Amino acid sequence: MPPRATNSASHGKHVLPPPQAGEAAANVYAAVYEVLLGGMYVSTTLYIIGTLLALFQHVRVPLTVAWVKHQMEWHVFWHGLTHFRAEAILLLATVVLILTPVSRVVLSIYAFWVDHDRRYVGVTSIVFGVIVLTVILSRFAHLH
Amino acid sequence: MIPVLTYSWHFVGILFAAACFAGFFGALLGVGGGIIIVPAMVLISHLPIKIAVAASLVSVIATSNAGGSAYVEQHITNLRLGMFLEIATTLGALSGSILALFLQDWLMLFIFAALLAYMGYASFVTRRTDTERITTDSFRLAKPDRLARYLSLRGVYHDEHENKNVEYVVTGTPVGLGVSYLAGITSGLLGVGGGVLKVSAMNQSMNVPMKVAVGTSKMMIGVTAAVGAIIFFLAGLVHFPVVAPVAIGTTLGATVGTMVMNKLPSTLLKWIFAALMAYLAYSMVAKGLALHFGVHWPQLG
Repeated sequence: MPPRATNSASHGKHVLPPPQAGEAAANVYAAVYEVLLGGMYVSTTLYIIGTLLALFQHVRVPLTVAWVKHQMEWHVFWHGLTHFRAEAILLLATVVLILTPVSRVVLSIYAFWVDHDRRYVGVTSIVFGVIVLTVILSRFAHLH
Repeated sequence: MIPVLTYSWHFVGILFAAACFAGFFGALLGVGGGIIIVPAMVLISHLPIKIAVAASLVSVIATSNAGGSAYVEQHITNLRLGMFLEIATTLGALSGSILALFLQDWLMLFIFAALLAYMGYASFVTRRTDTERITTDSFRLAKPDRLARYLSLRGVYHDEHENKNVEYVVTGTPVGLGVSYLAGITSGLLGVGGGVLKVSAMNQSMNVPMKVAVGTSKMMIGVTAAVGAIIFFLAGLVHFPVVAPVAIGTTLGATVGTMVMNKLPSTLLKWIFAALMAYLAYSMVAKGLALHFGVHWPQLG
């Protein structure tokens, strides 16, 4: 049975080493944990600020694709952000949230690479490849 | 006439409460919570199902971050197994999301109702625990298949309830990949995490202990939902003001759910979950029938 170990990301709690015991795998666990937690804190904070602003600014949301696409235009987004508009902050929160698991995949590739685990660099790169394919299809195949 | 949503405390409060409830149950059962969020948005807030599905997908990521990080911290999650199965779930989510953009609303309601009914059934029949298998050490003694051996898909976790380290060997990787692909399709199509399918596949077909399956699924559903969310987001269907109270609520609910999971009787939870699924399935079928066929079933409650 592998010995118990303390992970650097566990805030002093005693936890088991990961299934593939050793420092290498523990690095991946710590990296994944930090990204998930960081994404959660940042996006939740932005969502809370944005929601309160939307309530006080009495935001009206037309339930149309055109309205959403308009908010996603760079100059509209930037203007909204610099003028503390609820729509821009909520859009930023959504982007951060969607990018959190994507960042987790990218960081895992790096962590596996540092740990010389070529098989899982391959496995995780395939997952990242599917995400890239998704973006390409969404941007260029007009799926709407 | 273009429907316009006015942001009010009432609107935010209802979505926030439903999301807290969904996040809480999601953390307890290893699912994303979309299975509760989507019906709440459609039946209570009267939002179109595609907007509800898009918002739910984003909130599934929130619940995965909150619940997933806790299980990763405790090393309950098997990261390698999760990343391996993510190949199939992301491909499934890509297929499902594309399909969702072309399907009619009433058909999506019926498919959603079928999934709800299955989830209720699955929750009801999987009430027994892993205790017996842990006691007999059968998780460790299983024979891994070639792919599982090549990818070192095995692990160990500390079970606090049993107060022992449980070793396990992963088997049945082809079945796991197939079910994960299906789970991905349901995620992209219906805005759910697909956690129930993943958890049952890992636990019943791949020799993975229930708690590891829940932890691994919780982490996986974030990436699965992200694939669907990207498609809906770039298609202009993610109405982020709608997402906000849902994401905050699921994060809060999932955080509390993860903390109290071990203190609640799981049998009672599964009974409540099964009953809720049956009720929501009925309501979604009723809405689909009214929408497409003009048939009105009696409302329950």
